[in-house]
Amino acid sequence: MFKLNLKIALRNLWKNKGYTFINIAGLSIGMAGCILIFIFISYQLSYDQQFKHKDRIYRVVSYWKYADGEEFSRGVPQPLVPAMRNDFAMLDQVAAIQRSGGVIKVKDEQGNIRLKTDERAFFVEPSFFKIFDYQWLQGDPEKGLATPNTVALSQEMATKLFGDWHKAVGQVINYRNKTDLKVTGVFADLPENNSNPIKIAIAYAGYESRNAKNWAAVADASECYVLLKEGADVDALRTPMAAFIKKYYVEKGVGEENHFFQPLSEIHKDQRYGNIANKITGMSEIYGLMVIGLFLMITACINFINLATAQAVSRSKEVGVRKVMGSRRKELVVQFLTETMTLTVIALLLACAVTEAVMPRMAALFQEKLSFSLFQEPVIFLFMLGLVLFVGFLAGFYPALVMSGFSPALAIKNKISMGNSGGGNLRKILVIVQFAITIILITGTLVILQQMKYMREKPLGFNPSAISLIDLPGDSLSILKYDILKTRILTIPGVRSAALCTSGPSSEDNSFSNFSFGSSKDADFQVNVKSGDQDYIKTFGLQLIAGRGLSRSDTLNEFVVNETLLRKLNMKDPEQAIGKLIHLGGGRYSAPVVGVVKDFNNMNLREAISPILLFSSKAHAESIAVKMDARQLPAVMKEVEVMWNSYFPDYVYDSHFMDDNISKYYESEQVMGTLFKVFAGVIIFISFIGLFGLISFVATQRTKEMAIRKVLGASTFELIRMLNTSFILLVFFANLVALPIAYIFVSKWLTRYTYRIEMSIWPFVIAMLISMVITLITVSLRSYRVAKTNPIDALKYE
Amino acid sequence: MIKLENIEKYYANKGLKSYILRHVSTTIQQGEFVSIMGPSGAGKSTLLNILGMLEEPTYGTYEFMGEDVTSLNERKRIELYRNHIGFVFQAYHLIDEMTVAENIEAPLLYKKIAAAERKSRVADMLDRFNIVGKKDLFPNQLSGGQQQLVGIARALAAQPSIILADEPTGNLQSAQALQIMELFKKLNEEEGITIIQVTHSEINAGYGSRILHLLDGVIKEDLQVAL
Repeated sequence: MFKLNLKIALRNLWKNKGYTFINIAGLSIGMAGCILIFIFISYQLSYDQQFKHKDRIYRVVSYWKYADGEEFSRGVPQPLVPAMRNDFAMLDQVAAIQRSGGVIKVKDEQGNIRLKTDERAFFVEPSFFKIFDYQWLQGDPEKGLATPNTVALSQEMATKLFGDWHKAVGQVINYRNKTDLKVTGVFADLPENNSNPIKIAIAYAGYESRNAKNWAAVADASECYVLLKEGADVDALRTPMAAFIKKYYVEKGVGEENHFFQPLSEIHKDQRYGNIANKITGMSEIYGLMVIGLFLMITACINFINLATAQAVSRSKEVGVRKVMGSRRKELVVQFLTETMTLTVIALLLACAVTEAVMPRMAALFQEKLSFSLFQEPVIFLFMLGLVLFVGFLAGFYPALVMSGFSPALAIKNKISMGNSGGGNLRKILVIVQFAITIILITGTLVILQQMKYMREKPLGFNPSAISLIDLPGDSLSILKYDILKTRILTIPGVRSAALCTSGPSSEDNSFSNFSFGSSKDADFQVNVKSGDQDYIKTFGLQLIAGRGLSRSDTLNEFVVNETLLRKLNMKDPEQAIGKLIHLGGGRYSAPVVGVVKDFNNMNLREAISPILLFSSKAHAESIAVKMDARQLPAVMKEVEVMWNSYFPDYVYDSHFMDDNISKYYESEQVMGTLFKVFAGVIIFISFIGLFGLISFVATQRTKEMAIRKVLGASTFELIRMLNTSFILLVFFANLVALPIAYIFVSKWLTRYTYRIEMSIWPFVIAMLISMVITLITVSLRSYRVAKTNPIDALKYE
Repeated sequence: MIKLENIEKYYANKGLKSYILRHVSTTIQQGEFVSIMGPSGAGKSTLLNILGMLEEPTYGTYEFMGEDVTSLNERKRIELYRNHIGFVFQAYHLIDEMTVAENIEAPLLYKKIAAAERKSRVADMLDRFNIVGKKDLFPNQLSGGQQQLVGIARALAAQPSIILADEPTGNLQSAQALQIMELFKKLNEEEGITIIQVTHSEINAGYGSRILHLLDGVIKEDLQVAL
């Protein structure tokens, strides 16, 4: 029976090639989209899930509540780690991990430097490896990393440094031109989907820091992981945590501090805290993609249902005959479902091909190592099976019920038409749903593109073009060479100006401090401190609105502030601020305000501009910003590099363009924009081929009616208008449904941005126009042919 | 075999009843070959549909093989279709997507007959109707007469005890029509299959053993045909 059903199904599909094509095209594209989304999401959810104790691993994170907001950090005060180890009985392991990095040198047997490279490194306590079960190829973290000046390398790093990882253990590397570290172990490379991509693990015992006892200093670089005891409940740690905070935070800070245990599975997804790998995919993005996937499937299924119920008429005779031959309704349902399943499986095969073809581009878009391998990941196989069953039943069940329900007496007499075959109203509703989805996506796409354009074109408050930020080594000997390097760089033709600074005006790496303004009491908000020398304002094109710029000085002795700071302090006139004293960091530094600059973006473009203090301090300089003539850029950059290397031969040259840094800020918007463009395009395509199929059916069904009307004197135009009216009306209703929903979605999305476009009516109007015009074209194209046929052809068979 | 008692069928339209069948009572014995005749709109097809349980009468009782089948549930009705009733239609109603052989096989599938048995029965039918050479053709590749032969072969494949035929030759040329009628007669006489046909043609009716004349929903005449 099944074999016959399958055979009949294939013949039927072949007979109605046009509809089969529409269905398969829609379904396969929709499915390919779903598979891609599934692969991406399952990859994202697989982050950090490779560890044995994954469910018991937590990261301790910090949180502050201020009068005007809150702050999050993935770092903890350094003394917290030993204190926690001591005070919490429910924790099996507690481990500190300190992000660091610098020049690593490897010498050959003669003592000459064989290799020099700039790498990220981490100071790690041995207990870290009790929490995360790394696979050790050589050595043992228990012993290997217990004493200072020892280091373990990943297989890849060991191979890079020593050519062959087998030879690494026992060798010595030089770290930051200071410490010699003995390699005591090699561990297997970690997979890409890991939030802690450690390649160099240095014994924490050798980590020296002036903040080792300071409970007030929190840096993102100092993280703490814990392993819960088996059977312990993380919620039960709340009370001891409250006591812990009370016990150790004796000094009163500006904000109210708290610590949370963040589950390992959240680390890849929580934008507020971030992670070492700097790869984050928020749950909102994942949900967004899931919704898009669902939309894709729904539109494709709606095509199927609409075409199948419309087509039902032509199958009615068959149903009638089968029924009088003794077929039960159930058997007919099975037969129709077989047809749907056959179609779905064909679509799936095509979808696999599409997925395979699109995969590399998608991986590039997300900058992730994604792959489509069925055999390595059986879960994809399961997903596809589920997809086929889901689509098969969703799309096939209703038409099967409709068709199998025909009364045989009517069916045999050919008395079943579009009108009484059922599904007429349902088809209308489905068309409305489908177009509503399409319209929502069109609107969403338009708004995202508008917002991106707005962000790109919004004045930053400074000029980032043709500026390169070049890292400077921070040891005391190197600091002495800063000034001469700067002077020499300025002599290169094509260099406009240069400034020593911590970072550019807009940076992901901001430090905040508490301060007081004109009084002894600290203000109830923190201020973003930036160091830059006397040329900083000129180099970045900041605009002074009162007072003067910073004067030349190696140490902090005056401040320039921004407008936001004055606004927050309720000062209307910038001139008033000039000459007032500011105490920074609890009175560690005190200096007068000498100037006020116009606001500029100091964070990524999503966030509001912070109050800012600008000062000159050579000790805080981490890089030199060089503004160049854009036309001579490559030549100048080369010269700068040569010059830099001549001053700092022991270090590795590294530079970034300010423009690139800024475009990184809206990378995620760019990805979102691309995704929306692609998927909106796909859904528009699916919807409209569906519409084309449906109108084809309606036109065929109404051929006789049209012929009669023509004989009665209707013109071709009137006939086309007649067919158009009903569809345009449907699409118009779809607009009415979609626009409020789109409005809610879009305005919710926009609240993520402090600086956002004003919602205008245009995206909605454009979406409406696009949907109506395309409908008009689709329907007219198809109905024109019917309207033009000779009425005799249509009528002579009656 | 069939007993109709006071069968009435009407459609109510805005309170007005329009009668299709009135007070139809008759008995049809096993092995009869009955032709239902009458002008258009006399209710012939409706009567046949009621006999085939495709429609229900408004009043009256219908006994099929001693069982009251006036209103039967689907499961029981399908059982009857599978085992006792074969339909032949004016427009043949073959399934376009199936070959000749598959069309004939279809009812056997529903009857859950084993593959080997199905094969032999299909082969038997093809052989009997001289259409072996056409078994892999699709219905639209056949002439009307050939299609009707396949239709009858399909009806017979399930070995029914009764064949209900609604103007089986209405779409055929007279030579082909004769051939079909001969076939019916042979089936009736040799295999004892009860046949009820609706027809317009006196000649066709002449092949049967009994003629029911219907006029405005009432049986006007019930004739035994003299052989």
